[in-house]
Amino acid sequence: MGSELYAYGLLAIPLFSATLIAFCFRRSGGIAASVSIGAAALILATALHLIFKVDNFEYNASWIEIGSFSVDFGFLIDDLAKLMLFVVAFVGFLVHVFSYGYMKEDPDRARFFGGLSIFMFSMLGLVMASGLVTLFIFWELVGFSSYMLIGFYLDKPSAAAASKKAFIVNRVGDFGFLIGIVMVFSHFGTFSLSSLSAIFHGDATLLESVSVTAIGLLLFCGTVGKSGQLPLHVWLPDAMEGPTPVSALIHAATMVAAGVFLLCRIGFLMTADALQVITWVGVSTALVAGFTAIAQRDIKKILAYSTVSQLGYMVAAFGLGSLVALSGEASHGYAVISGGAAAAMFHLTTHAFFKALLFLGSGSVIHACHHEQDIFRMGGLAKRMPITFWTFTVALLALIGTPFITAGFYSKDAILALAYQQSTPAFFCLVLGAVLTAFYMIRLWKIAFLGSPKSESAEHAKENGLVMTVPLCLLAIGSVFGGFVWAYPEALKPIIEVGESIAHGEHHTTVAIFSIVAWAIGLVTAWFLYQGGAEKDPLESGVKPLYRIFKEKFYFDRAYDWYVAKVQQPVAMTLHFMEQIALSGLIIRGMAGVAGLIGIGLRSLHVGNLHQYLYWFIGGLALFWALAVGIF
Amino acid sequence: MIGLEHYIIVSSLLFSIGFFGVLLRKNTLVIYMCLELMLNAANLALVAFSRYHGGMGGNVFVFFIITVAAAEVAVGLAIIVALFRKRQTVEVEELNTLKN
Amino acid sequence: MTDVFFYIFSTAALAAGIGVVLSRNTVNGAMFLIGTFLSMAAMFVLLEAYFLAVIQVLVYAGAVMVLFLFIIMLLDVRESAAKKTSVYTWVASFIGLAILIVATVSVVSAESIKTKAAALPEPSGASLKPFGYELFTTYLLPMQVTGFLLLIAMIGVIALSKKLDTDGSAK
Repeated sequence: MGSELYAYGLLAIPLFSATLIAFCFRRSGGIAASVSIGAAALILATALHLIFKVDNFEYNASWIEIGSFSVDFGFLIDDLAKLMLFVVAFVGFLVHVFSYGYMKEDPDRARFFGGLSIFMFSMLGLVMASGLVTLFIFWELVGFSSYMLIGFYLDKPSAAAASKKAFIVNRVGDFGFLIGIVMVFSHFGTFSLSSLSAIFHGDATLLESVSVTAIGLLLFCGTVGKSGQLPLHVWLPDAMEGPTPVSALIHAATMVAAGVFLLCRIGFLMTADALQVITWVGVSTALVAGFTAIAQRDIKKILAYSTVSQLGYMVAAFGLGSLVALSGEASHGYAVISGGAAAAMFHLTTHAFFKALLFLGSGSVIHACHHEQDIFRMGGLAKRMPITFWTFTVALLALIGTPFITAGFYSKDAILALAYQQSTPAFFCLVLGAVLTAFYMIRLWKIAFLGSPKSESAEHAKENGLVMTVPLCLLAIGSVFGGFVWAYPEALKPIIEVGESIAHGEHHTTVAIFSIVAWAIGLVTAWFLYQGGAEKDPLESGVKPLYRIFKEKFYFDRAYDWYVAKVQQPVAMTLHFMEQIALSGLIIRGMAGVAGLIGIGLRSLHVGNLHQYLYWFIGGLALFWALAVGIF
Repeated sequence: MIGLEHYIIVSSLLFSIGFFGVLLRKNTLVIYMCLELMLNAANLALVAFSRYHGGMGGNVFVFFIITVAAAEVAVGLAIIVALFRKRQTVEVEELNTLKN
Repeated sequence: MTDVFFYIFSTAALAAGIGVVLSRNTVNGAMFLIGTFLSMAAMFVLLEAYFLAVIQVLVYAGAVMVLFLFIIMLLDVRESAAKKTSVYTWVASFIGLAILIVATVSVVSAESIKTKAAALPEPSGASLKPFGYELFTTYLLPMQVTGFLLLIAMIGVIALSKKLDTDGSAK
């Protein structure tokens, strides 16, 4: 009885905080910030209690019951959820604290903190959801919070366009997701994840039918939208229009990870064919995003493409590992932790730490440089902002998979090991992705931090206060120690253990060698290609056509714009036109017109002309007489 | 032999004469007089029916009609006088102020 | 003998009616109307409704027409030029005529009318006694209501004919 109270509490605290801010503290930013940060602290405390002191449980309350159709609202707290809860609560709290300093001069920060609270509410609900419908509801809520926070700067039309784009692209993915949910219900009659898991474990033949593949792929559509896989990745870089803490929390650590989380939740219903598709979507995303990141100038855009690339890694990990599981040992238990899911979650956790740190660090840099975001106009920040520099470096090393000392090495190794076991082409693609990762991150590092300042704002940069640097340090610790299983408390161990065992499994030497070589190649190439604090990109003049393609993000945005302008708009205009004529015109205005005509006709009865009244009198008389005679 | 049908024909002819008078004249007073003509035609028909079918109903009905018609004439003429005072005319077409 | 009288008086009534409709001078029209009323009274006599004939002369020709003539002279009406007949007039006239003819023919050719000439029932309106009897028993309610109606009509006429001040309030 008592356990679900914590879950309800986790939902109620941020909701209450958001409501309070919305109704009472709209104008007083300081109080709103404190309320929100207090709520985040409470959430962290409750989440930790839930993780460490409460056993795994599932709780369901009947919500909608219409005949044979019933939807439950409930919580499913298992190892997967606990790990995700930890990530969300911890990173969320740190971002809240960081934003206190970052948003200090912003007059609208009450709205910002309200949005953060709403986001925490939606994300926690999503993590704890026990059924597909509940999950979908919170999924959409998370999308809404993201929309609200991306478009936070009301006076920037680019921000409004970006938030619109994010929401619409997400919607496209959610469309497939919704159809998948409906198909699940029509095939299996239930939305509950645990019941579905039981059904699938009881009947292995289910995994061979085409409809289950279709269901799996449709549900994956949600991930494609939310986690920015190809081809729906276009919204993530644009989402950088939002304030940097938002990018750190939502678009690096948690919301985009929700797609991967969903995959792990529904892992049991993935067939081999679906997994193949998923794997290659992930791999191609990793590569395309990696290439695009090479040619970007904005620090946040580089990090955004890096996020897309890493998400591709996670998705690919899930696909590859589950394939291994399908061909290898049987999956078991209450929460299906196949190798793929474990590796994906492992990378998700470590990625949350170092990516959030990278974003917060970039936020610190941007804040100090008075909102200058072009790396070619920075430079020499290492001396001026030491703490930011060192924490950023730690996170960067983790991201590019610096051997043995960083968390990123182990999680990336797990993924590469799975790829090596399952599919050699995928393995080499992922290794190439690792090279690219190292390349563009070192490029960023050298140009932004080393050398001499290239602009006024960079010259006057100075370190930010404690409230912004302490979270950075805490996350740095996570980025280093997040790869070692012994660093994790008992409750969070199960998944990480599986993840690490894959990294140390068979072939691990070969895999390790490949990843170290990739790391080295990327690092050395970038080191010598870019001088510290460069002003122009040598690649730009060197390999012009390739560079153009990368810079234009592989023309994805152009393609979508063309599609919207040339295909969708005409269709929409045609429908609009038809609607104007048929619906508004004929039916609605037609009815009004008919009523008007009747009015005009009846009005003629009242003209005031006596003789006209007589004419009507005759008409009525004729009618009555006909009736009396019996003509009608 | 004069039968009921003769009286009916006369009554209907008189009614139609009165009706055309109302249709075709412009002066309110003349219209009113033709109205009385129509009433009388109805009276004739009623009395004829009462005579040929027996019973007092038709006669009493005519009695009431005459009474009510007298009252109605009084009131109608008072209205016409009031209208004349206001508009200085009793032409039906000039009395019409409604926008058509 | 009565047939001849019927034809004379019916022709007179119809002619006078046409005279009312067609006369230019309003007073002439009023005179013609009186003629109609008198012919009607004669026809009532032919139908052996003597009381009604007398009432017709007294009320209609006596009171109503006098009132009409008073008002005509009060308002000093002049008939202006005839209005041009719109197409509606012709349509309405045609319809009216059509109805009239068809109605009359259908009524007249009905069975219940044709046979009555032979066996006439007793004329019930011949004497006054049945009238009074009916009025005070079967038709008591209509009589009382008519009394009220006359009262209201009188009050209405008085209210309507009050002279108004220039600003509209009644004196």
